[in-house]
Amino acid sequence: MILLENASKLYANKVLALDGASFYIDRSEFVFIVGPSGAGKSTLVRLIYREELPTSGRVVVFDKDLSKMRPREVPFFRRRIGVVFQDFKLLEDRTVFENVAFALRVTESTRREIKRRVPAVLELVGLRDKQRSYPRQLSGGEQQRVSLARAIVNNPELVVADEPTGNLDPDTAWEIFQLLREINRRGTTVVVATHAKEIVNRFGKRVIALKDGQVVRDEEKGAYSNED
Amino acid sequence: MRIRTWTYLVGQSFQGIRRHVHMSLASVTTMAVSLLVLGIFVVASLNLSYVAAVIESQIEIRAYLYDDIPAQGILDLEVAISSLEYVTGVEYVDKDTALSKLKEQLGPQADLLEAVEEMNPLRNSFVVKVEAPEFVALVASQVEELQGVAKVDHRQDLMSRLSAVIRAIRVSALFIILLLGVATILIISNTVRLAVLSRQREVYIMKLVGATDAFVRWPFFLEGILLGLAGAAVASFVLDRAYDWFLANVYVMLPFVPVLTKQPMLQVVSLGLFVLGTAIGALGSSIPLKRFLRV
Ligand SMILES: Nc1ncnc2c1ncn2[C@@H]1O[C@H](COP(=O)(O)OP(=O)(O)OP(=O)(O)O)[C@@H](O)[C@H]1O
Ligand SMILES: [Mg+2]
Repeated sequence: MILLENASKLYANKVLALDGASFYIDRSEFVFIVGPSGAGKSTLVRLIYREELPTSGRVVVFDKDLSKMRPREVPFFRRRIGVVFQDFKLLEDRTVFENVAFALRVTESTRREIKRRVPAVLELVGLRDKQRSYPRQLSGGEQQRVSLARAIVNNPELVVADEPTGNLDPDTAWEIFQLLREINRRGTTVVVATHAKEIVNRFGKRVIALKDGQVVRDEEKGAYSNED
Repeated sequence: MRIRTWTYLVGQSFQGIRRHVHMSLASVTTMAVSLLVLGIFVVASLNLSYVAAVIESQIEIRAYLYDDIPAQGILDLEVAISSLEYVTGVEYVDKDTALSKLKEQLGPQADLLEAVEEMNPLRNSFVVKVEAPEFVALVASQVEELQGVAKVDHRQDLMSRLSAVIRAIRVSALFIILLLGVATILIISNTVRLAVLSRQREVYIMKLVGATDAFVRWPFFLEGILLGLAGAAVASFVLDRAYDWFLANVYVMLPFVPVLTKQPMLQVVSLGLFVLGTAIGALGSSIPLKRFLRV
């Protein structure tokens, strides 16, 4: 589903954020991306949903080489991926319902479908009664659940998350990860870049560790680090 | 795109205005004020042009004749003058008509003329109309050469100065309107651009969720048109009222100054403001967006 071949990213300011990373992630996997700050986790995630392009090497998602993708194919590609960000990236001037519905609006879903799917997915993330609230009226954990709801409302094949719990307390973080695991159980591939050491260790899923932009470890049923 | 998507996008353009009331109000106000200033200048120069045209049409040369010319001589002279180049009209005014016209002009003081009435001291004359002020001197000198013409009156220096002034007014009015037009376009597109810049994050998020460029751009485009329409409507309304006020005052205070009637002039000017407002609104909001769409 996701293939990186010697992928490197050199930013315009000459920072080599990713240095020849290679790995393959299969359908329905749950994968953690870990590593110290500045290791290149966010860069990696941005390559997967094609916010950035690799400066060398290949990134292939859904059997498509992202460097060869034409700009007008990109929106249709992104609709197959749900993205969750550390800072939620919600539309501040729209209600919870509209934020989640937006992902369906862009795919031109019918009104009936929107009325059916949005409450269902808000139910799943436990925000059924907050539909009419605005993002700023919600706690951080609630906002992240909205952004998670938006990411999965389209039934994407892949969900990628970049430090989805970076701004949340441990309990709330745990809830978000439970949701991600639930989404994965339903067959969606999940890739999460995170610093949440305890959770990574408890989950016992595949771990890809980065350091200075290189893959230094790639283990099935891995832990956050080797040291303990 | 499907109909339901169009409905949604049109709805979004109204929502966009509602969600950013302050920005929208600022944009409409800026548009209204700058379109109004432009409109006032256009109306003012149209009127100046009109005054100039009226004055130009009244430019005339008076050729006074000797008293002893026979009727046939007068006819010959009329033909001779009409066949001169740049002459657009010749009218014969006999001395009796001239006297009664003078009386009319004097009104209540016409009694003054009673003393001279018996022996009318005025002369028969031709009123010669000329294409433009700059030809007055030439035509006057040619008329003066003709047999039977006693004296030609044409106030040459006044005429040439007048023609210079009229030309200067026309050129500078056009220049000012061009300048104002450019300024209006810059001011409005800048205001609209600022409104769009403040929504960069929104556009970025939309693109990450998989919106196409068209999907993001249409509401901005429609919003720009709506704001442009609103700005032009305010400007046109104020211009309309202001012109009524202007007409009412001119008729009272300067009754002899020729002014254009309200219609069809204001209809045309308003149409221009609407076209300009919506065009700049639409382009000004969708062109700067292009940069953010590259996500
Ligand atoms: N848009 C960018 N332009 C230039 N340099 C960047 C950009 N984004 C990241 N970098 C640099 O690339 C390197 C890797 O950054 P990245 O954000 O991928 O690390 P990270 O592993 O996500 O770190 P963190 O855990 O702190 O989020 C860093 O040195 C960073 O300064
Ligand atoms: Mg990061």
